[in-house]
Amino acid sequence: MPELYLRLLNRILTPVLLLLSLYLLFRGHNLPGGGFIAGLMAAAAFQLQILSRGHDSLRRTVGPYLNSGIGLGLAVAVCSGIVGLLDGTFFKGVWFSLDLPLLGYLKIGTPVIFDLGVFLVVVSVATSYLLGLSRVADANVEPGRRADS
Amino acid sequence: MAVSANLLAVPVAAPLLTAALILLFARWGGRTLIRHQIALTALALCINLAAAALLFRAAAGQGQRFVLQLGAWSAPFGITVYGDGLSATLLLMTALVALAVYPFAVATIDYHRARMGFHPLYLFLLMGVNGAFLAGDLFNLYVFFEVLLMASFVLLTVGAQPAQTNSGIRYVVLNLLASTVFLVAAGIAYGTLGTLNFAQIAERLPLASPAVRTVFAGLLLVGFGSKAAIFPLFFWLPASYHTPPPAVTALFGGLLTKVGVYTLFRSFTLFFPELLQDWQPVLLTIASATMLVGALGALAQPGIRRVLSFHIISHVGFMLMGLAVALSGNNLAFGFGLGAAIIYLCHHMIIKTALIMAGGAVELHMGSDRLASIGGLVSRQPFLAFLFFTAAISLAGVPPFSGFVSKLSLLQITLDTRHWVVSGVSVFASLLTMMNMMRLWRESFWGDYSRPSRVPSRILQSSVRQRLMLTPVAVLVLLSLALGIWGEPAFRLSMQVAQQALDRQAYIEAVSPSAQTSTLPAGLFTVPAETVSTILSKEN
Repeated sequence: MPELYLRLLNRILTPVLLLLSLYLLFRGHNLPGGGFIAGLMAAAAFQLQILSRGHDSLRRTVGPYLNSGIGLGLAVAVCSGIVGLLDGTFFKGVWFSLDLPLLGYLKIGTPVIFDLGVFLVVVSVATSYLLGLSRVADANVEPGRRADS
Repeated sequence: MAVSANLLAVPVAAPLLTAALILLFARWGGRTLIRHQIALTALALCINLAAAALLFRAAAGQGQRFVLQLGAWSAPFGITVYGDGLSATLLLMTALVALAVYPFAVATIDYHRARMGFHPLYLFLLMGVNGAFLAGDLFNLYVFFEVLLMASFVLLTVGAQPAQTNSGIRYVVLNLLASTVFLVAAGIAYGTLGTLNFAQIAERLPLASPAVRTVFAGLLLVGFGSKAAIFPLFFWLPASYHTPPPAVTALFGGLLTKVGVYTLFRSFTLFFPELLQDWQPVLLTIASATMLVGALGALAQPGIRRVLSFHIISHVGFMLMGLAVALSGNNLAFGFGLGAAIIYLCHHMIIKTALIMAGGAVELHMGSDRLASIGGLVSRQPFLAFLFFTAAISLAGVPPFSGFVSKLSLLQITLDTRHWVVSGVSVFASLLTMMNMMRLWRESFWGDYSRPSRVPSRILQSSVRQRLMLTPVAVLVLLSLALGIWGEPAFRLSMQVAQQALDRQAYIEAVSPSAQTSTLPAGLFTVPAETVSTILSKEN
């Protein structure tokens, strides 16, 4: 059984980390941040989950979709480059303005879509590493002393 | 039809997007899923071939240069993707090899490896190789080197046999060392010249001190040279090529070292053509040693695939020899050596892939590729024997195949420049090649039929599989024959490609990196050329 404080911390920190990662993702166009850092931040939330609750639950819920996440991220990133062809050059930045009823005026461009793809790739790759490493770590601990059983 | 520079994105984007789609849906479905993956991969390979062929026609045939500034950010700031005849030739050959090996891979790769992601990895490797041929700056070249290194490392180890893991680790460590050397070279370029863009390096390097040029060139020679498997730096190749499934060896044998050869061609012709003269003795010595060691080492190998993969090293020596005499020539046209090296490169990619596939078919049939224990296959598999024989004599340089044209032209230029020793060595290495091939042929096809494995042959079980394996070999052998018969037009084309690659001024103008830099405040983004030369002259 992991320590109580770790589980408590997990409850508070996981949403904070995920929200922070989204914040970093969307400010990344002009300020420090972007898909890579945001992806690592989100993976840190998953790592916290592994530490506090063990990797089994995460492996069941997120594990099967990690490869798909890598694929989706790569596809999104390439497609954001293809959109640039509308303006004549591969990967040229293209911005669309949307007037949404609730959110108001929204300007969305291909750089942020590219970053979204990077985010997906990074979070999926990093989480699958972490899950793999936690399995290796588990195998090295004697059965009686498993941290999460 | 006018070809847009955006076409340069296709050889990278098409494999990447397809691999991404395969990964995206890899979770759902069983055996039918693999079938969809195969169809998608084949489609991507065909698109890649079509794009490469279009580029080749425009760049090599009509002498155009394509420059794609990604995102329309101009040269030293954005990412430059550059395609000329040399890149297009290699793209076309790569596309052909990748498409030819694929049916063989489909026939021979087992379900387990396919589930582990063989098909997307195949595409990632193709993407890395294509990207390296198209990169217009050192950093992206490095990135694509890493992409192809990682993809090839996983392809080498997927299946996780102990021998595979062992060779995979040696492969990846030695290649990472080479990448590090290359990265140091890139750091030196950035630190002294203030740029990574090929065109801008070519523009500023003449202003740099000779010390910088020597160190930069030396590091690039070591880094690219070990990717190409030149003489003292080839150890990763024989340590690893014989362990993965034959389809993977065929793909590696056709593609990987050629990326190193291409980067050697590109960097020496664009950055420091004068060193081709100054360093000629060194380059020729390395080339001779590579030719000899590759051919002699292959003689000592016990298995078909080991012989064939060791022998790749010898061919790299021939290409390096062509590069070393690229700018010399007394009676022959300018760039004759490079033209000969390019046609040799094409010949090698075609026929080496065919041979490794044929050797792999022998191995799968016999259940082993140890020459001492197999034999007599000619009575059971006459068509395979025929294909192997024709490919082998083409490799050895017998007319009317492509080996003859390419070896003859290389010999012509070395004799013309009066490098008697090197031309002697190359003839001797060709004889050793002939010996190697005859040894393979005698041990595996002649004599009494002996098959060491008790497990029934996988080839014989299905005629579809057999056709999938042997058709690409036959197509490649026919291509080699065509390249030999139409040797003169092919050689003329490769001379055009070589002369285009040797025209540095046109490369610089096509990318035109300094047009943008001159309007910027001095010292803000890059060091202007005058500053570089003053700094460097102070250092002296």
